[in-house]
Amino acid sequence: MSEKEEAIFRSAEMSLLQFYIPQEISRDAVYTLGELGIVQFRDLNSKVRSFQRSFVNEIRRLDNVQRQHRYFFKLLQKHGVPLFEDPNLMFQDTTETGSDASSHGPHLPISSSVIDDHVQNGTLLEERLIQIESAADQIQLKRADLEQYRAVLQSGDEFFSTQDAAQTSIASLRRESIISEGRGPADDSAIRTHVNFVTGVIPKDKVNTLEQILWRTLRGNLYFKHVELTTPFYDTVTKDFVQKEAFIIFSPGDLIIQRIRKIAESLDANLYDIDNNEHIRSQQLSTVNQNLDDLYKVLDTTNKTLESELYAIGNELNQWYQDVSKEKLIFETLNKFNFDSNRKTLIAEGWVPTDEIDCLQDALTEMTTRLGIDVPSIVQALETNRTPPTFHRTNKFTAGFQSIVDCYGIAQYREINAGLPTIVTFPFMFAIMFGDMGHGFIMLLAALALVLNEKKLNRMKRDEIFDMAFTGRYIVLLMGFFSMYTGFLYNDIFSKSMTIFKSGWEWPEHFKKGETLFAKSVGTYAFGLDWAWHGTENALLFSNSYKMKLSILMGFIHMTYSYMFSLVNHLYFDSMIDIIGNFIPGLIFMQGIFGYLSVCIVYKWSKDWIKDGKAAPGLLNMLINMFLAPGTIDDELYPHQAKVQVFLLIAALICIPWLLLVKPLHFKFTHKAEGTIALPTSDDVEHNVSTTEDNGDREFSNEEVDEIYEGDDDDEGTGNHGEEFSDIMIHQVIHTIEFCLNCVSHTASYLRLWALSLAHAQLSTVLWTMTIEISFGMKGIVGVLMTFFLFAMWFVLTCCVLVVMEGTSAMLHSLRLHWVESMSKFFVGDGIPYEPFVFGYNDMETAVENSTSSTSD
Amino acid sequence: MTVVVISSYVFWIMAPKENRTVWRSTVILALAMMYLMWAITYLCQLHPLVEPRRSDMRPE
Repeated sequence: MSEKEEAIFRSAEMSLLQFYIPQEISRDAVYTLGELGIVQFRDLNSKVRSFQRSFVNEIRRLDNVQRQHRYFFKLLQKHGVPLFEDPNLMFQDTTETGSDASSHGPHLPISSSVIDDHVQNGTLLEERLIQIESAADQIQLKRADLEQYRAVLQSGDEFFSTQDAAQTSIASLRRESIISEGRGPADDSAIRTHVNFVTGVIPKDKVNTLEQILWRTLRGNLYFKHVELTTPFYDTVTKDFVQKEAFIIFSPGDLIIQRIRKIAESLDANLYDIDNNEHIRSQQLSTVNQNLDDLYKVLDTTNKTLESELYAIGNELNQWYQDVSKEKLIFETLNKFNFDSNRKTLIAEGWVPTDEIDCLQDALTEMTTRLGIDVPSIVQALETNRTPPTFHRTNKFTAGFQSIVDCYGIAQYREINAGLPTIVTFPFMFAIMFGDMGHGFIMLLAALALVLNEKKLNRMKRDEIFDMAFTGRYIVLLMGFFSMYTGFLYNDIFSKSMTIFKSGWEWPEHFKKGETLFAKSVGTYAFGLDWAWHGTENALLFSNSYKMKLSILMGFIHMTYSYMFSLVNHLYFDSMIDIIGNFIPGLIFMQGIFGYLSVCIVYKWSKDWIKDGKAAPGLLNMLINMFLAPGTIDDELYPHQAKVQVFLLIAALICIPWLLLVKPLHFKFTHKAEGTIALPTSDDVEHNVSTTEDNGDREFSNEEVDEIYEGDDDDEGTGNHGEEFSDIMIHQVIHTIEFCLNCVSHTASYLRLWALSLAHAQLSTVLWTMTIEISFGMKGIVGVLMTFFLFAMWFVLTCCVLVVMEGTSAMLHSLRLHWVESMSKFFVGDGIPYEPFVFGYNDMETAVENSTSSTSD
Repeated sequence: MTVVVISSYVFWIMAPKENRTVWRSTVILALAMMYLMWAITYLCQLHPLVEPRRSDMRPE
């Protein structure tokens, strides 16, 4: 551990390595590298389409196995069989792979026979499971059929009890028609024999449709009756349980019955014949019951076999899935490699942190000796001018802060990492807005709970929002801590104040009730805001001016601090022209206007205006007058103020053309004089964008991939030809305008600190007076109860509204201050992230979800 | 001021070996910001231009 450099201030130095790996051990070698997780392989076959690569067949085979495994997993979920997940497999802390992997020691790679086993197993099991599943489905179908039959039989009694009524009604229909035809009354029993019926079951929502259709087609020449069935039936088509109803239709005539049957079947009804004789019906019922009993037994055994099979699978499935995914990753990596001319050796290229090359070589040698093969793999460093990936070594503490920065942009290779100062500035800017000891304390406690239980929580599955809070636990911890500090300075604890030090104000001794009192200044409060201000009428007036000036000063200091990083960057990349042409004029511009304002603020504070008997000048008007009417001063802050201000204004104005012209002109002259020599590497955005573009162009312009590495070394130092004078000029114009405007707008932007902290303090005061203070006025048992309830209400609202909501908004504002106001001062952020080849844990659930969502799209 | 500078310096030397950069920068930056915050608060109360005013006090 100790020989590794820390790579948090600047990203780690990377070198491009070339590996020559004999084909026989290529799988094992890649496995070893994957366990180490420090190599980012370059794709050497980017021109070859994915299905033309060397190991496509293997990958396809493994894809199939993965599909089978996902199918098993779906079955497991369907039958509620738990998946056994080995916790050791699951959460090897992925944030520390870079530094931790070497200490694990290389594991033995999975032998290829194991993978073959997985493949065979997968196919066998899939066939078997599909068989069992379809058998179970068949039985389910039969069962549903029989159950429906039984239901119809059971409801038959009810149907036929009303039969007589039906008979008579239909008979009367008949009779009327007969009468109208002018014949004599017919025998009732003769009609009775003509009445036929249809029985069956139909989904509940289609009953009305059926009835209406039949009514229309038969012109009311029927009797329809239906009974709701209590138990739902399994539908094999939709694989779901459906609520159904049994129905019976009486109607005269065979032909009509045929039509009714057709209509009913077209509406998904299942028709069953039952007898109108009660005895025969009960006989039918008993046979059906017997059949059903048999069926239940068969179904039971089938389900048991299926479940035991699934349990066996569930125990191993995760392990298999992990093995197969690793194997697939290996082949995908191998696909990035090149074969040499006689196809014996694989050639790979990859980025490795320079200080870990030794560790990598050790691992490879160990692997070859263990395998007992005497063909070593050769590792060789390459000289290159490609942009190396950016790799910051993070730990669990810094990872959260680093991710804040990475969201905005990956740092350029070896530039100052904005994540390092963010560790303090981000929570602190938050705290200025969120300053309240009580709220900060709640936040601190919440974060502490997460931090202290992090081992346990790390093994748990977390949902999205909780996961966000968990990864940001150290951020929240520091935010809570600094909030407590600023709350202490603001003298705010749940909007109340503490009287720790001696107040700097003294109230007059003798006064009448209701008289307006003015305190007398006797000293300065030692730490934070004086508690004498609390509850006064003009407290807001004072804290307003205090917080506004505080936010301007803090903002100015924060920006200057960030701006200094750009100097450090320029010095590191050794680009003098950026210092002269960009940094110095920018600095003078910024300091001349806003630095001057800040100095004035402090000066005004430190001078005793009342003793001098002069009116204190307004600083805002002073600044405005400095531009609009240079040289005229309304109220003098200090002697010779006019001259100083004119001088500063002129200096700032000179800086604009300086910023605009020096760099492009320098570029033009050096180019004319020396022709081919390009600018030294700078951290200017446009410069590097074009460099990387050049890299990209070169890759595409070369036909043969092999030529790329030969070409690499020749390209050294010539990658900057693409820039024209006009490009540089335009970029510089944009940069100048942006910088000058941003100076103004960013300083103004820091006023959000003022606004939010005031809003927070006011909101907590309002909450206090609206809830808990009401209860203090009451007496007796009502007072006790009120205090109890209002305290609960106050506490819940404090947590929800003030801590969570206000905290989120303050956090977003702080985020913006960092991304926009601070990082624009020095951060280039056009780096390539370092994504080493490493085996991770594949969660089956997410894998299944992904595959289903991708197929459904 | 001196307290902060001295404690920063002491910490610069005392910083733990592991993750030294992070420790140093974090602690010193935090100290500096906390000091600044205090200084601003102190300064603004050094020579106050407005005085607290209230009319809801009851005589003892």
